[in-house]
Order: sequence, then C-alpha cells, then structure tokens
Amino acid sequence: MKKHMKKVILLLAAISMLAGLLIGCSSQKQSTSERKTFTVGFDAEFPPYGYKDENGEYIGFDLDLAQEVCNRNGWTLKKQPIDWDSKDMELKTGAIDCIWNGFTINGRESGYTWSKAYIDNSQVVIVRSDSKISKLSDLKGKVVVVQADSSALAAFTGGDATDENKALYNSFGDFQQVSDYNSAFMNLEAGSVDAICMDYGVAKFQVEQRGDEFTMLDERVSSEQYGIGFKLGNTELRDQVQDALDEMEEDGTFAKIAKDWGLEDSICLGEKGTDSAYLQDYDESANQSLMTKVSDIIQQLSKGMLASLAIFVLTLIFSLPLGLLICTIRRSRFKLLEIIAKIYISIMRGTPLMLQLLVVFFGPYYVFHVSVSAGFRFYAVIIGFSMNYAAYFAEIFRAGIEGIPRGQYEAADVLGYTRTQTFWKIIFPQMVKHVLPPVTNEIITLVKDTSLAFALAYTEMFTLAKQVAAAQASIMPLFVAGIFYYVFNFVVAFIMGSLEKKLAYYE
Amino acid sequence: MKLLEISHLKKSFGDLEVLRDISMDVSEGEVVAILGPSGSGKSTFLRCATMLETMDSGSMQYVGESAVSDKNGKAVYADKAVLHKLKNTFGLVFQNFNLFPHYNVMKNITDAPISVQKRNKSEVEAEAKELLAKVGLEGKEDFYPCQLSGGQQQRVAIARALAMNPKMIFFDEPTSALDPEITAGVLKVLRQLAEEKMTMIIVTHEINFARNVADRIIFMDQGLIVEQGRPEDVIDHPKNERTKAFLQKMA
Repeated sequence: MKKHMKKVILLLAAISMLAGLLIGCSSQKQSTSERKTFTVGFDAEFPPYGYKDENGEYIGFDLDLAQEVCNRNGWTLKKQPIDWDSKDMELKTGAIDCIWNGFTINGRESGYTWSKAYIDNSQVVIVRSDSKISKLSDLKGKVVVVQADSSALAAFTGGDATDENKALYNSFGDFQQVSDYNSAFMNLEAGSVDAICMDYGVAKFQVEQRGDEFTMLDERVSSEQYGIGFKLGNTELRDQVQDALDEMEEDGTFAKIAKDWGLEDSICLGEKGTDSAYLQDYDESANQSLMTKVSDIIQQLSKGMLASLAIFVLTLIFSLPLGLLICTIRRSRFKLLEIIAKIYISIMRGTPLMLQLLVVFFGPYYVFHVSVSAGFRFYAVIIGFSMNYAAYFAEIFRAGIEGIPRGQYEAADVLGYTRTQTFWKIIFPQMVKHVLPPVTNEIITLVKDTSLAFALAYTEMFTLAKQVAAAQASIMPLFVAGIFYYVFNFVVAFIMGSLEKKLAYYE
Repeated sequence: MKLLEISHLKKSFGDLEVLRDISMDVSEGEVVAILGPSGSGKSTFLRCATMLETMDSGSMQYVGESAVSDKNGKAVYADKAVLHKLKNTFGLVFQNFNLFPHYNVMKNITDAPISVQKRNKSEVEAEAKELLAKVGLEGKEDFYPCQLSGGQQQRVAIARALAMNPKMIFFDEPTSALDPEITAGVLKVLRQLAEEKMTMIIVTHEINFARNVADRIIFMDQGLIVEQGRPEDVIDHPKNERTKAFLQKMA
C-alpha cells in the first residue's frame, strides 16, 4: 500500500510540474514601434493562397499581398508555414503575427481581431467526373470528406450552420475529415470517398491543375469571406496592415495581384458588408470554471481515447506473434528466408511509420487499382502498426533467444526433446524474461505512436485533441491529451513492472 | 554385452585434427574413466559419443544397433527415428550442469520423462523423490536452481539423467566447475552409482577418484588413446611417457 502511495504522489508531482510549465509560458509581446519583421502564418498546402511551388519556394496570393504590405511598412516578411491545427497556439504565443491564408471570418468572428474581408469565397463540392453525382441532393448516402477545421466543416457542423446544410449533412452516408487537401484528393481518386467539400478558389485551382478527372458541382453549399486574423486585442498591428491594404486597393495594386492569381472574381475589399468583423469590439469571452472546461474536454476526447486504446491493444495482439514469426524466419537455416526477413526488418525500421501507413492504405489502389473503402482506414492503421512493430519485436526476440546459453539446447537434446518442445518449453520462457525490459520500452513508444494514425485521417486521441484545441482556441485539450498518454503509460509501466517481478523467481 | 562400440572415430575442426583415430567399447556395468591433459580431445570425444557433435568418419553402435556407420571414410548417421531411440539409451551430465533455470528441481527431473517418454506423471514424481533422496537432496523439490549451490545443482543434474532410466551415463568433468570442498558430495553419488553397477563413462581430473571407482582407465593425448587398462596398471605403473608426465604433474 505504501509503495502505491509513493507512486501516486510521484504521478501528481509530475502532473503539477507540467501544469506549472504551461502556466509559466505567458505570451511575450513585440512592441510595434520597433517592429522590423512581420511573420505570416499560413498552411503551406493551400494553393493559390499560400503553398510551396516546384522550386521549394513559398508563394501564393496571400503571401504576395503580405509582401506588398511589408514593403509599404518597411518590414521584412517572414513566411512561416504552420500546422493548421495549431494555428491558435502559434498566434497566442507570438510565434506568428497573423494568420493570412484564405482564413474564413464567418463563425470565427469573436476568436480573432480581424482585418476587413478581402475575398469572398464559397463552399463547393468536387466529385470524380465519372460519378453520377450532379447536384447536392445526389450526395445522399455518399461519403463526403472535408479538411479538419475548415470552412467546409463549419458550414455543416458549426454553430451557425444553416438548416439546409444540416439536413444535407444528415443525409451523407459518412462524413470524414483529413488533415490536408492532398490526401483528400488521393482519397477521392482512390474511391474511398465520393466527394470533397472545399473553398471555391482552391477548388477552381485544383480542378484546373488535376485535369478533367474531377468536376465541380454548380450548386454551392455556402458563401463566406476571408480576412486576416490577428491575436485578439492586437488592433495596433491590425490597423497598420489594414491601412496598407486600403492604400493598395485605392491605387489598384490589390486588384493587380488578385488578377495574377486568377482571383479577380472573388475579391471584395472595399465592398459593402466587408467590415462587420473588423468593426467589432474586443470582448473577452466569458470564462468557464476550470473543472467544467476539463470535464467538457474529456467528454469530447473520450471517443479518441477509445480509438487510441483500440490501436494499441490490436497492434500488440498482432505484432507480438508476428514478431516471433519474423524472428523465426530471420533465424532460419535457409539462407533465402533469412535474407527476406532481414530485408523486411531493415525496411520497416528504416522508413517512417507514417509513410508505411500511407503505403498500406493507398497501396492497393495504386498497385492493383482496387478502390479502397473508407472502412479500410482502421484496418490499414492496424496492419501498418502491426507490421512495423513486429519488425522491432523480431529483433528484440532474436537478441533474447541468442542470449540463451548453448548448454540449454544441448541439455534438451540429450534429454530427447524435439525441436518444437525445446523451443516452447525451454527457450521461449527464458527468452520472455530476457526481453521484458526492451519490450516495455517498445510498448511505451507504441502508446505515443498511436497518434501517427492521423496520417490516414483516423481520428485517434491526439488528432481529436488538436481539433478540439483549434475549435476552442485553447491549449487545454492538448494538455489533457498529454495527461491521458502519461497515465496510459504509467499503467503500462506498472503492469510490465509487476510482470518482471513475477518472473524474478529465477535467474 | 557391449553397450557402446566406437571404431576409428575421427573429428576435425577446420584444419585442427582433434580426434585422430579412436576405437573403444564399453560393457554393461563397466565404469570407464577418461584422463588426459586439456586439449587432448576428451571432451570432443564425449560430445561425439553423445551426438552433440557429428563425427567426420568412423562408426558407432549403441546396444548393438548402428547409430553411425562408416561409408568410404565418411560417417553416415542413421535416420532420425533410430537416433532418437538410441539417444534414449544414455544420459549426459554436463560440466556446468545446464539445469533449466525456469523449472524447479522437481520439474527439471520429471519434465523429460513425462513429455518425452510419455510416462505416467505420478509414477515419475514418486521416482523423482526417491532419486532426490538418493543424491542427498530430499525436500528440495520446490527449489529453483539459482537457490542451490553448485554441488547441489550437479546432483540434481545427475538425478535428471537417472530419471530417464538410461542404460549408461556420460559425465563431462562433473566436478571441475565446483569448489574443491563441495566436490565430495558429487563424487559420493558417483561412487554409489558405481556400486550399483551403473554403466558410466567419466571424463575427469580427479585421479584418486578414478583409481577408486573406475574399472578401466583410458588415457588420451593429442587425439589418440595412449594407454588403457586397470587403474592399478595405468595410474600406478604407467608405461607410456606421456602418461607418466601427466600423472606427475597432477600429483
């Protein structure tokens, strides 16, 4: 009992230290009077607003605008690609000065200090040209995908989604989120989704780039406006930027840049009704109590916790026996089998798990032209994880087996045990004891690696935490996620520790 | 009756000729002690006889049945089933015991008779208890090898070999991994087995023990049997120079 108390106290101490660290990270301010640089945060996979071209340069409509604003203010532009899910953290901590990236005002009015709207964009639907979908009502029962925390997502599930959109949303067969448009199009091409809902400007660009394989529906889901988002209350910087933009609008530079990017149909700067978000007062949102906030977050994250747990348990169930099998093949007397196992292990250990997951999921389509169903997503995650971890376990098992003295085999041989009996009765039990510490290490890594399932848009714990964090513009969900992983691993370490103790009866 | 017959056994490791031409046999009830300086090939001989190593050429018969036959100077082993049956006729006690560390004493002794020889469990366990009493370890059934001294572990290893009811037992330097003061317990057990007319082939450095217990001494050097005969002849009146030199060094 005393020992357990000690562990609980240790756990609490660790958590409070983490909390202290987080609270201690107060945001620092850069005084605008001595401003020399202007850091724009953007999603580098969002053409034509901001993306990486063939030469590896970040270019785009928004970046050109930002460059012009900097020129007029005498600032140096810093282009900072960000992970879209962490944009609020980037902004809050001062790592970036603004989000300027086809950033939708609608629905986020109170979350940022806004510039005037400068682009009017609508949400449209893209389908494969060979599909029978020609209007929104055809999407009934179909699989629709959107980018995580995108305007398209807000148009269907946001607080101010229209009743028509809600009805449309309910008619979908399945509704999924991916982290970037590239994987959305890969999914659409591979047949695992039927339609992508996305911004008009991006859609127009993508359809042009990708040829006539894809078609945009004429009917639109919603219309929306883009602005530049600054940290709440940072009106000083906002005004400096807005003044420069207004100037550019007057002298025609703005329209010229828009034309360069084929966006002349979408611009709306200076038009009526573009400044409602710009004019709103800074209003600190009502503070909820910490406890309700946390329990609310836990509730939202619980589905992700189960998903992470499922990945973890299933991966262990499959990868441990698979690892033993690969280990056996690796130790085979047949040279060819040994080489095959060696190559397998070398590839699995030598390439990123994230890439392996993508290969497992999209491979069947690109190699055999079999369309992958959405339901395959979860299986692909389990297959990818199991194959990867099996390679590591195989090497651990091999080291464990080779550490067993030759005399054990000889004693078994003289006593007449068969090879199978020798392995299962004599070698395997001793191997298990030898490999427990390194296996514990791997299992703890696995707990944290479950978050890599996001690569296949499988919503596990960490992906969900990032989404909730983005929606609440708060770092709290990530902190809660951190505690979840820590407690999870604490339990894992405890179980493995008692297992080790149980096997300590012999040397 | 001859339990073991070996003729013209040869064995090399690469260029190193370890056993050059060994022929010997062992009769039922006979105790044979093999002496010789280290590097003389005693252990390799024992490992070839117990089939832990394969011989290059020569032939070998257990209880009159061929395990290895010589075909044009190459050793040809009998098929698996025959070898499995013949392996059942002998036991081997290792220098460093090689007990199974994850099994307790009882399981170390009974597991092979039960799962290899498919004998009745309660019968085997009752016999194991008698064997433990015989080697002076009654009441140690539930101990694990790591809880026993080296001498006790070696006595468990002897009980494990005996539990298989072998016709003969090989001992590979059974006391050389032990402290001198605890070798006595192990030698006592061996002496007792000799009195019971257990057939034994013992590789050892214990000259006195060999003289007292063995019916026959084989002296090996440089991969050959240099001299053999009754202990009082070989040990007390050696004819060969190398035997004399070895015995002088050991004395």
